[in-house]
Amino acid sequence: MTDRIIIQRVLDGDVEAFSGLVDRHYARCARIAVRIVGNREDAEEAIQDAFLRAFKALGDYEDRERFSAWLTRILVNQCRTVLARTKRRDALFAELDPRWLEFSVAADLDEGTWPELEDVLERLPADQREAIVLKYADDLTYEEMSRITGAGESALKMRIQRAFARLRAMLQEVPSV
Amino acid sequence: MSDWFERRVARSLQANVPLSGDERARRGVMDRVRLAAAEGHPVRRRRADPWRRSRNSILGLSLAAGIGGITTLSVVAPDARPAASALSSVVIGDTVVATLRDTLRLVRLMFDAPDARRVAVAGDFNRWNSNATPLTRENGSREWSVTLALRDGKHRYAFVVDGTRWVPDPRAERSAPGEAGRIYSLLNVSRATN
Repeated sequence: MTDRIIIQRVLDGDVEAFSGLVDRHYARCARIAVRIVGNREDAEEAIQDAFLRAFKALGDYEDRERFSAWLTRILVNQCRTVLARTKRRDALFAELDPRWLEFSVAADLDEGTWPELEDVLERLPADQREAIVLKYADDLTYEEMSRITGAGESALKMRIQRAFARLRAMLQEVPSV
Repeated sequence: MSDWFERRVARSLQANVPLSGDERARRGVMDRVRLAAAEGHPVRRRRADPWRRSRNSILGLSLAAGIGGITTLSVVAPDARPAASALSSVVIGDTVVATLRDTLRLVRLMFDAPDARRVAVAGDFNRWNSNATPLTRENGSREWSVTLALRDGKHRYAFVVDGTRWVPDPRAERSAPGEAGRIYSLLNVSRATN
């Protein structure tokens, strides 16, 4: 069943049909939110709020845009809200010791996940982290990313480029063979 | 830029996180969605849709006046009591009538409550409004009833007795737990059940 059919069912009063959208998109939203906000608890809250906002606004959804991209736009906004709140919260605590960022890359290319990357993502500026997560975790085009973030495509490309430069530096990359 | 570093970053970011498969977290989303539905969401956008208005007015006309026509609307009732014989649609044209027939089905709900002063039905079809859809009864009758026009699909509902007491339909084949300890009845409306 397509997203469009599920949405129509929900708008026709079948609330439970919305679980089809949750099941289909939750894992993707989790990949995005955890990387953007940096921890599971805040990510779960952002995702719940995003789905709830999407449900309430479903009557405004226009199917000329992919539902996944529409939902991602809502999710990114919720993540930004969470980040703004946690930034205020974290400001109450002492600054982190930058030495904890001194990682060495365990260059196991067969691994699907890269724990050190998850850690250093948090140290990227929020706009660069958001851009690289949307680009690679959600496989969005620059045009879609532009609609979601409100930034221009060239600005997004620059953010990705700068994000990679920082990641390489932080992960102490050895030049590729 | 597509070297091993970029590919590895991409592969890592595309990998699921522990939260991705968390059933509890997904249920949490639906719990909040159900509460929002009970509050009247999602709100339909108001847009020019003459076809939708036309269908609604046509249905209202046919329900209210029972004007003789060429097609009888489908009916499904939990108590298997057919109500179609009393209702027919207005002569409009084959296309309109066919669409109407395929889109909405009439469901007659009945509830035995001789001592009740008023009975209504609340469900996902009326956004759980306990005042929107009252049942009526003939003088001296113990049975309350209402006829609903519902779309195909599963609907949850409960009777609201005297404005405060939520009661599941004893004639419903299925029920499910709802918010605030309530039990909702389940009604599956489909072409196949006619």
